[in-house]
Amino acid sequence: MAQPHRKAVLNLYKTLLYMGRDWPQGYDLFRKRLHKVFSKNSEESDPNKVLTMIKHGDFVVKEIEALYKLKKYRTIKRRYYDDN
Amino acid sequence: MAAASLIRSAFSGLLRKSTTIKTPVACRLFTVALQQKYHTVKTIANLYNTSDLQNGVSRSRQYATGPVRKVTPQDIADRVIKKPQFVRNYSHGPPLTIDIIKSRVLLVLQLFDKVNPEKLSLESHFIQDLGLDSLDHVEVIMAMEDEFGFEIPDGDAERLLKPKDIVQYICDKEDIFE
Repeated sequence: MAQPHRKAVLNLYKTLLYMGRDWPQGYDLFRKRLHKVFSKNSEESDPNKVLTMIKHGDFVVKEIEALYKLKKYRTIKRRYYDDN
Repeated sequence: MAAASLIRSAFSGLLRKSTTIKTPVACRLFTVALQQKYHTVKTIANLYNTSDLQNGVSRSRQYATGPVRKVTPQDIADRVIKKPQFVRNYSHGPPLTIDIIKSRVLLVLQLFDKVNPEKLSLESHFIQDLGLDSLDHVEVIMAMEDEFGFEIPDGDAERLLKPKDIVQYICDKEDIFE
């Protein structure tokens, strides 16, 4: 199989699915969107482009993580201060 | 110590240069003797009481509480010879058998929205027969991880292409044989 990044892509997909468990709009929406995005780029065969996409995916993972942390921070802040 | 003080007090009494024992000297001697011997008498009385109790018939056991029951040979035989009953530990979940695993795997696949439950069987290939792509396959494996509570490494996951393979893999993991 001439798919050198197959494993990395599937691993990224799995990681993103785990990250999407607590998605604010629901896991199902996240799953469908993620599947759509991944299958849209499934025809890409240039290894370098695939690598760039994987890097972008890792960036998205970090973004989701930051989002959850921000959400947690805001929730806790709301518990302590009423006004904002 | 006691003897020394007795002698000393007697001596001091005698130093008064009289051969007859005067009343104050005798009194003092008696008092000192009584003081010195008080503890000895007390100890002897204690010892006597204890030995009397020990030799008495009605002496009860102090180190066991509650009714004392004799262990019969039958009890010992029951305890030793009988095999222990199978005890289910509820924190471990229900005992897994190969049939339970099969039905649970199939149930998870039936509930998966992209799988057609009518086409599904233990032998159907995920990608060729059920029309899933590799991404859906990852989701199937994740659902199995959730259902059975352990992680399947990526290297193993790509070989699990049929429900039958998954059942076999889980049996190997949980040490279950036919």
